Amino acid sequence: MSWDYVSGILILSGINLMTVLGLSLLTGFTGMFSFGHAGFMAIGAYAAATMTMKFGMPFFAALLIGGIASMIVSLLIGKLTLNLKGDYFCIATLGFGEATRLILDNVQYFGGARGLSSIPTVGTTTLPNVIIINIVAVFVLVCIIKSRHGRNMVAIREEELAAQTIGIDVFKYKMIALAISALYAGISGGMMAHYLGYIQPVMFKLVKSTELTIIVIFGGLGSVSGSVIGTILLTFLPEILRSFYNWRLVIYGAAVILIMITRPQGLMGGKEISLKPVIRFIKGRTDKAKEEVKS
Amino acid sequence: MSVLSLKNVTKRFGGLTAVDNVSFDIEQGEIFGLIGPNGAGKTTIFNLITSIYSITEGQVYFCDQKLERLKPFEIANMGITRTFQNIRLFKKLTAYDNVLTACHKSADYSIFSSIIRWFGKFKIQEKNLNKKTDELLKLMGLWEYRDIVASNLPYGLQRKLEIARALALDPKLLLLDEPAAGMNPEETMQLMELIREIREKFDLTVLIIEHHMDLIMGVCDRIFVLNFGIPLALGTPKEIQEDKKVIEAYLGKEEKNYAECQ
Amino acid sequence: MSAFLQQVVNGLSIGSVYALMAVGYSLVYSIMNFSNFAHGGVIMIGAYIGYFCLTFLKVPFFAAFILSALGSGLLAVTMERIVYRPLRKRNAPFLYFIISAMGASIFLENLVIASPIGPTFRSYPPIFSTEPIMLGNIALGRIDLLMFIISALSLMALVYIIEKTKIGLSIRATSYSIKGSTLMGVNVDVVIFIIFALGGLLAGLAGMFFGMKYTVYPQIGNITTKSFVAAVFGGLGSLPGAVIGSVLLGLIETMTSGILSSQYRDLIVFVLLIGVLVFKPTGLMGKSTEDKA
Repeated sequence: MSWDYVSGILILSGINLMTVLGLSLLTGFTGMFSFGHAGFMAIGAYAAATMTMKFGMPFFAALLIGGIASMIVSLLIGKLTLNLKGDYFCIATLGFGEATRLILDNVQYFGGARGLSSIPTVGTTTLPNVIIINIVAVFVLVCIIKSRHGRNMVAIREEELAAQTIGIDVFKYKMIALAISALYAGISGGMMAHYLGYIQPVMFKLVKSTELTIIVIFGGLGSVSGSVIGTILLTFLPEILRSFYNWRLVIYGAAVILIMITRPQGLMGGKEISLKPVIRFIKGRTDKAKEEVKS
Repeated sequence: MSVLSLKNVTKRFGGLTAVDNVSFDIEQGEIFGLIGPNGAGKTTIFNLITSIYSITEGQVYFCDQKLERLKPFEIANMGITRTFQNIRLFKKLTAYDNVLTACHKSADYSIFSSIIRWFGKFKIQEKNLNKKTDELLKLMGLWEYRDIVASNLPYGLQRKLEIARALALDPKLLLLDEPAAGMNPEETMQLMELIREIREKFDLTVLIIEHHMDLIMGVCDRIFVLNFGIPLALGTPKEIQEDKKVIEAYLGKEEKNYAECQ
Repeated sequence: MSAFLQQVVNGLSIGSVYALMAVGYSLVYSIMNFSNFAHGGVIMIGAYIGYFCLTFLKVPFFAAFILSALGSGLLAVTMERIVYRPLRKRNAPFLYFIISAMGASIFLENLVIASPIGPTFRSYPPIFSTEPIMLGNIALGRIDLLMFIISALSLMALVYIIEKTKIGLSIRATSYSIKGSTLMGVNVDVVIFIIFALGGLLAGLAGMFFGMKYTVYPQIGNITTKSFVAAVFGGLGSLPGAVIGSVLLGLIETMTSGILSSQYRDLIVFVLLIGVLVFKPTGLMGKSTEDKA
């Protein structure tokens, strides 16, 4: 494996991870299911690509615009559908994702079904950039989760009615979770556009949304580190299995079922890998050393 | 001053009248009992007060303010919190996190402030929330169980934890839905003490549904009896115990039943 | 006018096949409260069974029909057994069911692609003459006519089973309350077996119709997205709703293709879906629920 190949997959992992992080907040922490996040990625991708191509905007600013565009759409969708329960919300997001793709198919400004091509790829979605963006994204996410806002979201996931009776504005927090996840997906879409150099509506089908949600579940609902590990594993695995190209999705499908049946809590099962034990270990060592020196 | 007053409250589900023309006032600082046979509409009244159901007819006033078209979370923020008959804790969270989550109203930092957590009010406010959680857990005798996941706690402690969670919002009115269900007599006696204690400490008014007559008669200042959604009696524990209609509702009309059997 | 009637006829015919899929989906939803996204895989397998029966085994046309229905029924039941039952026994939340269903659908679709059958598009052998039957100015395609008649008959049979038989009574009872019906002595495992079998049989028929009308290919199951939409139009979990929603969907589709352009057909459908969810989420005939505390 050449470095170019590996760094390519790492960039793809980073792009996926960005959406998965947002979805993790929505699904893993707030307990809502979306089958439309490919749609939010599409909005981010098209908005960011248009900004760099047609308005010559710098990469990072274009990414941000992509993210914000998809966030604004999510607020609109959320306003309309967040009162729906369970499957209904799921189906609404599915409808949104498909509708977005079909609209893009028909808008000539965005190249219709052929999409946009020759999007600048040099110096845009590079590995260092992807890593920096993801580190910031993870940090922001963890900060939100470890605050009263994050706790309110978890309360909604655990027991929506009880959450209301302790004064949590369920609608507002669902909206916040949806908006942040859409922001992340939009930025992810922008990165994708500037990595591949072209985008087409067909890239953002229902299957893409499903894949993203499956990664969140695979990593473990309610675990950020699980999402990170899950994304890297599930992006690398199909690439490594490329020689069995035809069979890899069969294995993938079977694996999903197997996980649901045997280990529904996913890889991490709501737990986090944290640096604390490591720090404690090192500290313990140094303390011991100090004592030894003293004696 | 009455903290809560129901005026001719009625709730219908389709053709079924679950609560029929119920009125009562609860005074500041009172422990008020709501009793009646199964299916009498007691929990429905709780759901009406907390806006989980909408009222068909009538009004509810809280501290002379009319409760109208409010969402359940707005009711909670006004100062009415509750527990549930079929315990609704955040099951996968620890006892500590259950209470800490509910303390959220004692802080007002924004999402942005939680991201720049080393600056601004995040740190101080989080510290206060933790302190408050510590106090509540200690008060409710849950301190040693703080790291146990809620669903793994014994039944009695789960009920207590739900009360702790409800208290975290500094309510003026606390609604307890069968708090002693599943407790043994000793635990029930302790709970009675605890309810009195938190009333004093938090300057609370308590509305309580319970089947456990020892608890109701021992702790309540006044009792309201409901039967098939219809108000039956209102009075002090002593008055209720001697009320013929109440005895009939609970034990049935003996002669009549006998006659029917013949 | 005759152009309009022509669209109505086409809409009814395609709508009736949507109904075959949507009722299977709705049956599962009414009892298990989750969207069975694997229904598409069952339809796809039905389409392939029909194709191979006709092309290689050269069985008579109606025998192929029965075989593909049986094959799909068997697949649906097996899937319930392997994929959903373990989740059911554990009382898993609905999202695990949905994800498992997605996994099953990915599995089936790619199994066909990876197998010697491969991803190619295959056409059914010509069974009927393509010359339409003329009714005045309206052309009735022979396949369309057959689709409509068989779908209508199957749906009537389904209604009979649900309304008039003992097992139908159990199904209706279970859809009100699983707990309650278990207490009344209904064997929920049997009821769920039956609904998957019924849904599978109808899905096999639908698969064969789609194969005949268009072609067979591994992604043909994606057409079930339409049946979810139809079920939402009619109200999730309601059988009459699923049928009405399907016919409505068929009519809307053919009308958009006829009046605007077939390019906008799917777009209009999904925009309408969101519209229905926003303004009347319980659909035309869905049951509404008030959360109990």
